Amino acid sequence: MFRKRYHKQIPELNTTSTADISFMLLIFFLVTSSMDTEKGLLRQMPPPPLEHEQPMDIHKDMVMRIELDADNQLTLDGKTITLQQLTDEVRTMASINRTGHVVSIQADRATTYEAYFSMQNAVVSAYNSLRRQYAIQHYGKPYRFCSSDERAAINEYYPQRISEMPIAEEEGGRP
Amino acid sequence: MRAMQSMFRTKRHSVPSLNVASMPDLIFTVLFFFMIVTHMRSDEVKVHLQVPQGTEVQKLANKSAVANLYIGNLEGQWRVQLNGDLIRPEEIPARIEKIRAGMSPENAEHLTISLRADRKAPMGLVSDVKRSLQKVYALRINYSATDKNN
Repeated sequence: MFRKRYHKQIPELNTTSTADISFMLLIFFLVTSSMDTEKGLLRQMPPPPLEHEQPMDIHKDMVMRIELDADNQLTLDGKTITLQQLTDEVRTMASINRTGHVVSIQADRATTYEAYFSMQNAVVSAYNSLRRQYAIQHYGKPYRFCSSDERAAINEYYPQRISEMPIAEEEGGRP
Repeated sequence: MRAMQSMFRTKRHSVPSLNVASMPDLIFTVLFFFMIVTHMRSDEVKVHLQVPQGTEVQKLANKSAVANLYIGNLEGQWRVQLNGDLIRPEEIPARIEKIRAGMSPENAEHLTISLRADRKAPMGLVSDVKRSLQKVYALRINYSATDKNN
């Protein structure tokens, strides 16, 4: 009698549905999560101006005045230009006068964000191409393979000197 | 004779059932992979927007120090949304302070604003938002865009 019970097999647990359960979990995670890596232009804004701060005087020859008007028209020092020309101009200016030039940006209230972004993109692309060139010349490797110290050195060699003019609070508020 | 017959007779074997015991493990592995490489969609975007395209875009690192700011269209009006809530541009400083307070000190220091603005958004509004951010020293801005190269 005891012998008989000893021979009884423990029934196996049916685990066929475990796969289905884990599939459901997997699908839940696929739906609720997003894999898209966010991309964008990272910019550092200047701190808010202090009350007693006086604007610095910069020699006019070194300032590139970029303006965007209400019709998204891009002008550089009063002349209408394209984005490609803007990149080339900034590149030339930044290579001639690395640390002395200033890119001044002014946009109208009615300018679309896309026009503004393309302009920022064009300016940054000018600096990036200079930095890439410098990285190849001095470190013998592309900018993206440089270490963070090397990058910092390159960025310091070609600083981005961009100044953004505040947009007037109300239309026509500024002379 | 009988032995000979059995030699040539096709045997009626049933197909052995496949062992699926390791299938859950496989799927769990895929599940864990997805749990690690993805992140939960934290907030629902209430405004309609389409980010511009750029060529110089970089990946945004350190997701935990990012606050999302959306500027888009909602029922014909330009609205600002910070993380999950629709707000007015004037409310931004107070909201940012609140977000900062909820972050770890290192993250609060490297707080990055991911600005996702619609292509057609007027710069006046974007500029107001930027000035509000400047007031609370949230100076790192990521102008969100898609890569034109791919």
